[in-house]
Amino acid sequence: MSMHIGDSPEEAAFRAEVRAWLSQHAAPRSDDGGNWHDDLHAHSIACKKWQRVLFNNGWAGISWPKQFGGRGGSHLQESIFNEEQAKFETHTGLFAVSLGMVGPTLMAHGTPEQQEVFLPKMLSGEHVWCQLFSEPNAGSDLANVATRAIEDGDDFIVNGQKVWTSMGQFADYGILLTRTEPDAPKHKGITYFIVDMKTPGIEVRPLVQMTGVAHFNEVFLTDVRIPKANIVGGLHGGWAVANTTLTSERGFIGGGSSSWSVDELIDFARERGLDKDPVVRGKLAECYARAQTLTYLGYRLRTAASNRTMPGPEMFVMKLAYAQHWSRTMDVAMEIAGAHGMISGDAAGDAMHWQHNLLGQFAIRLGGGTNEVQQNIIGERGLGLPREPSVDRDQPWRSLAKG
Amino acid sequence: MNFDLSDEQQVISDLAAQIFSGQSTVERVIEVESGDGFDRTLWNELAKAGLLGLCLPEEHSGLNMNMVELALVLEQQGKTVASVPLWSTSIGSMAVAEYGSKDVRSSLLPAVVEGKNVVALALANYGANDVMNPSVTATDTDGGVKLSGGKPAVSFAQHASHVLVSAKRADDSIVLALVDLKAPGVTITPVEASNRQPTANIEFDVTVPATHIVAGLEGNGREALRWVHEHALVGLCALQLGISQGAIGIMSDHVKTRTQFNKPLSAQQAVAVRAADQFVTTEAIRVTTLNAAWRMSEGFDARQDVLVAMYWATEGGHSIVIACQHLHGGIGADISYPVHRYFLWGIQISTELGGASQHLSRLGKLIASR
Ligand SMILES: Cc1cc2nc3c(=O)[nH]c(=O)nc-3n(C[C@H](O)[C@H](O)[C@H](O)COP(=O)(O)OP(=O)(O)OC[C@H]3O[C@@H](n4cnc5c(N)ncnc54)[C@H](O)[C@@H]3O)c2cc1C
Repeated sequence: MSMHIGDSPEEAAFRAEVRAWLSQHAAPRSDDGGNWHDDLHAHSIACKKWQRVLFNNGWAGISWPKQFGGRGGSHLQESIFNEEQAKFETHTGLFAVSLGMVGPTLMAHGTPEQQEVFLPKMLSGEHVWCQLFSEPNAGSDLANVATRAIEDGDDFIVNGQKVWTSMGQFADYGILLTRTEPDAPKHKGITYFIVDMKTPGIEVRPLVQMTGVAHFNEVFLTDVRIPKANIVGGLHGGWAVANTTLTSERGFIGGGSSSWSVDELIDFARERGLDKDPVVRGKLAECYARAQTLTYLGYRLRTAASNRTMPGPEMFVMKLAYAQHWSRTMDVAMEIAGAHGMISGDAAGDAMHWQHNLLGQFAIRLGGGTNEVQQNIIGERGLGLPREPSVDRDQPWRSLAKG
Repeated sequence: MNFDLSDEQQVISDLAAQIFSGQSTVERVIEVESGDGFDRTLWNELAKAGLLGLCLPEEHSGLNMNMVELALVLEQQGKTVASVPLWSTSIGSMAVAEYGSKDVRSSLLPAVVEGKNVVALALANYGANDVMNPSVTATDTDGGVKLSGGKPAVSFAQHASHVLVSAKRADDSIVLALVDLKAPGVTITPVEASNRQPTANIEFDVTVPATHIVAGLEGNGREALRWVHEHALVGLCALQLGISQGAIGIMSDHVKTRTQFNKPLSAQQAVAVRAADQFVTTEAIRVTTLNAAWRMSEGFDARQDVLVAMYWATEGGHSIVIACQHLHGGIGADISYPVHRYFLWGIQISTELGGASQHLSRLGKLIASR
């Protein structure tokens, strides 16, 4: 097949179909950056409502097999849908973990029972999921998780603490990394569980961020009983499963989002009378160049996803480039915002969502592995640089000094 | 050539450091934040030490110093993110001392030195925030000037006694007025500022008596506004210098003590190199700020020097606080951890009187059109 950077006739037809459907079911997006939500509760309700609409109309899980309630389409179609959806006033963030991370993980590693029980309810929006991976001492060094799971009959009993759990306060289920074999090297003694968030012993405590919103939480687990049937990927086999989840997370943070446009930023500059300023123009042009690059990186990633099964370094490049673009764009936006850039909340008017995005950038540059973690992986996988020698890969986890 | 502080300047700097670090502890900052946002105890300490009259003439009980000394004090404030209106009160009262009538000087300044008068600065404008193009209009009336229009995001407006406001006449000439904030026709609407300092938008529909027109009655309004603008910018640079130092201090403590992969974060070269870059940028803010402050104090043309310093304070300061926040990972992202205040102040200062693009644009014009 010869190279063609743009929709094929079939893809264009699909896009038109999607657009027609969306324009009947959602309002066009207002240009005040509808992706910011102060009132998380209202946002969560709106997300559930929209997911239901998608599900009832056959647009939930476009690339998921029909047997799980999906549409049985391609990844490319799903990307096209997401691109078009972003042009409408739709709420989707609540399902980022379930659809973007847990779904792909269960499809790859789940038991048939797990797939049958959980996947359709993700798509219908009935179940919200959260990611219980990070701990106070296991961030970039995720394999250092210390939350203990000890076998007890048909169950495991879990004790420990998770942190920075996004939307944990709304979740029905969580994906949970635990330490089951402390005497094995750190990557080899981890077990991956599905946990019902209503199980006794789970306490979710919101943490307020700079945006004034408590988007993430601390989660304390005390004698939490989880049936063995909820293990994903086998006892002590959790690290490989976690990697599938993280790969999906990077994919959706970097790739799944909108088409890359700086039109809003240019309009913002025009409204402030700054569009003729040569220095501002230079910065707008830089943002535009970055946005274009993201568009093409996204195309490459999609092509890779439809032609190969294993994503290569492109995904890490994409996630990093996205985080850099976001950060740079918000810097420029704050300059354009003028005095309103100093005000947060409603009084900031049209500058508000730019400021929130500026404050919210840490989710993107830290979540799913920080920029530096992506760079390390790109060094290893993209350039073939040797992995940094580490002292802790082969020693029993228990013997390592705890941070 | 001698770029060292004089003994006297060192004393001022040490005194300020002692007051700010002694009073404005993290616990105190949190306490003030949850109250009305004005640390009056600290304000009174600053008054007692004479620092509120640092750059005011001796005849009004000031210490008669200048911009370098003020910069040294503001740097210490920035280090501790202390919530006091030192920047606006100092610059505003200096402008009154420089340009104001005898009447306005003697009615305002002694009470500033005592800590009783607080001055807010309404220099920023709606829209593109071009300080030299005020959004409030001025109309001459019998015995005064009528001001109408609004000013956004005025720091400490709700706690100040006076505000120094810039306004523009129909013929484009400029007026600087000292307005009593209790006067009828002044409407103060508190807003939430990025850095959580008490801040308000102000609407003016008020006639200011000629005695309180600080500049602009004799055609010197534009020059006076430029003077205030440049001093205010250097003050911001000094605050940002302190913010940057505070942020890199917290950051370096963190990367030394947090372990991941069985070693401190700082043992990762990517972390150590990034941290070092922030130190370099902080030093750039320091030398350019001191240079600009010194040239101003000496009465030299400092237009370019101020813009160079401001470029570093905005572009550089902004990148420092982002890097320090980033190097904290998730720990810094919830607000129970102190580093976020430096981030918020850093981004606020970077937009306060125009962002990096604006300063570069102006600097470009100055250097390339010679
Ligand atoms: C808004 C937000 C939402 C989040 N949501 C979730 C969630 O839902 N579920 C969940 O499990 N987790 C979540 N996280 C946690 C996130 O995955 C971690 O913050 C991230 O992995 C970094 O770990 P850390 O915070 O411990 O930082 P650290 O690992 O302590 O890193 C601190 C700094 O050091 C750098 N660093 C660390 N190691 C290296 C290295 N080897 N080489 C170079 N630099 C290095 C990092 O890049 C970073 O700048 C969230 C985080 C944020 C900020």
